[in-house]
Amino acid sequence: MPTLAPYFNALGEFAQPMMLFHVVWATLLGIFIGSLPGLTATMGVALLTTLTYSMERDAAILVLICMYVGAIYGGSRSAILLNIPGTPASAATSLDGYPLAKAGRAQYAMGLATAGSATGTLVGILLLVMVAPPLAEAALKFGSFEFFWLAVFGIVISGQLTGGVSPLKGYIAGILGLMVAMVGSEGIHAHVRFSFGYDQLNGGIALIPAMVGAFGFAEVLIAISQRRPDLVTHSDKSDRMLPRLIDLWRYKFTVVRSGIIGTFVGIIPGVGEDIGAWASYAVAKRTSKERDQFGTGSTEGLTAAETGNSAVIPGALIPALTLAVPGSAPAAVLIAALFIHGIRPGPMIMFEQPDFIYSVAAMLTFATIAIGTFGILLTRVFVLVLRVPREYLMPLVFTLCVIGPYALTQRPFEIVVMVFFGIAGYLLRKMNYPIAPLVLGIILGELLDKSLRRSLILSDGDLTPFFTRPISAAFALLILVSVILSLGPVRRFFLNRITRRAAKGEG
Amino acid sequence: MRLDSARADQVTAVVFFVLGVAMAVGGYTMDRLEIRQIHPASIPGLVPMALGVLLALCAIGLYLGARKKVDAPPTDGDSMSNLWFAAFYTIAYALGLVGRMPFELATGIFITVFVMHFTYGRLAEGRHPAIWIGSALLYAVICSVAVSALFRYAFLVRLP
Repeated sequence: MPTLAPYFNALGEFAQPMMLFHVVWATLLGIFIGSLPGLTATMGVALLTTLTYSMERDAAILVLICMYVGAIYGGSRSAILLNIPGTPASAATSLDGYPLAKAGRAQYAMGLATAGSATGTLVGILLLVMVAPPLAEAALKFGSFEFFWLAVFGIVISGQLTGGVSPLKGYIAGILGLMVAMVGSEGIHAHVRFSFGYDQLNGGIALIPAMVGAFGFAEVLIAISQRRPDLVTHSDKSDRMLPRLIDLWRYKFTVVRSGIIGTFVGIIPGVGEDIGAWASYAVAKRTSKERDQFGTGSTEGLTAAETGNSAVIPGALIPALTLAVPGSAPAAVLIAALFIHGIRPGPMIMFEQPDFIYSVAAMLTFATIAIGTFGILLTRVFVLVLRVPREYLMPLVFTLCVIGPYALTQRPFEIVVMVFFGIAGYLLRKMNYPIAPLVLGIILGELLDKSLRRSLILSDGDLTPFFTRPISAAFALLILVSVILSLGPVRRFFLNRITRRAAKGEG
Repeated sequence: MRLDSARADQVTAVVFFVLGVAMAVGGYTMDRLEIRQIHPASIPGLVPMALGVLLALCAIGLYLGARKKVDAPPTDGDSMSNLWFAAFYTIAYALGLVGRMPFELATGIFITVFVMHFTYGRLAEGRHPAIWIGSALLYAVICSVAVSALFRYAFLVRLP
């Protein structure tokens, strides 16, 4: 059973003026980015990664984590005031947040969102500290067979859960990501694949330019082509920023349950905050006594959604740190940033950097305190942020999209990669393809490729161990069940049964 | 053609099918490194071949699914003129201007024209042309100098 002593030690280490300064500006920047529709947490973390190359390791990771937490929280602002989620993570928030704002309770909704986000992250942090170290130890039992299945599992489950009504599109996005990872020198025989004689492709496609393109450039295009939303900021006399303690206490079970759901959704590879929020919201709606108010301004619904999406953050970092498999798209960028700063995430992390998981938990804690503080104190400032004209903001964002990836290697080729993925990301998104499996594919491609071929060398070409080793067999079974459940006729069969049962219940 | 329509799905299904087949063929014909006597199960083309086949199968599924799909009613659509301008202009800046002139100048020109284009409507609202141009120019100079200085002096990057 892991103890909390290393976590408290890490908290003490980070409680220094310079680190706190980083917490303040990075969280504020995160909230700013998350608040603006069109700028997502992934884009914020990807762009900021390019600004942390020269920073000291702990400070750089702290800044990125604060950006991540701030941006996910910031998304609730525009979800409540504009009915447009600042980030996809806040889509469920807008269902009840916006009706509350229209009813003159915008400040109260934002206060509740702040409390929900903070408590959700804290629940997630607790689970991170408890779950990550034993998971890292368990992962030491993984061989190449298991890592192959883990990579396949990540793509399948991410594709299925983020593909919405069409898991097939999620699978296609994942396969496209894996294909991108096949470009360049492969990891076993150093043979260069699919470079077409172009030297710049020998090293493969770097994740950061691809992410900045798919999330940054694509979002610039989306934001600039959409109509400007209406801001709802009027308040009635009963509106208040600080939620009453009695309100929070009333929803204590919702908060804890949403926190746990969010964290476990976060652990699932490549799924992310939006699914965490929807899952928490759906469970809260099913179990609530006020379920008829959901969607019309339910404070419980708002709390569940915000707690759920914020709890995903620590959850997503659990597999990212212990297996090098990201639980969400921003966590994928964080993995790339960890490598840049000399940290090798994966099962060996508890041996190579035994305190690092606790340091990450401490960083998350400071970021949580920051969103709690700023969320309460700077409400009016964040309302002003929503008035920033995007005609001014977007060219600056695009300039950073250009120079950021270039700064990593100082090769103009990275700009070409960014532009390519920006256009591809825009088109895919408009065609309702999820981007998270694509990113996961780029990250997991090398692991999948090397693990499969290494396993086949070990087994002398025999496929049997892939299905007979206990952990491998469990993964194979899970993947098979997931794929079968995503098939059209099977899905329709279960949906019909659920609908019929619900109709009977109501009758 | 709307990008979220069944027709678009059919077109992309064909594109993905061709891409999948090309990937599978590319993997199959890839050097098997026999000269280095590697294990035959570890040939570099193995995973690309499998991915190509999988993508082609998914593309067939997408095509068949699109035949039954009913398009959602059109929503409050995007501004296509804004999109085309932003797409062409950003690409022209990234791949055309950057690297062919000093970064500060390229960025200054890019931001000025971008802001002026998207705030053009304010002239009709009564804004004086000098203020319209001046504010765009001032904003561009500040952003360009700040971004360039940040990367050149703080991150020691040799700007393109």
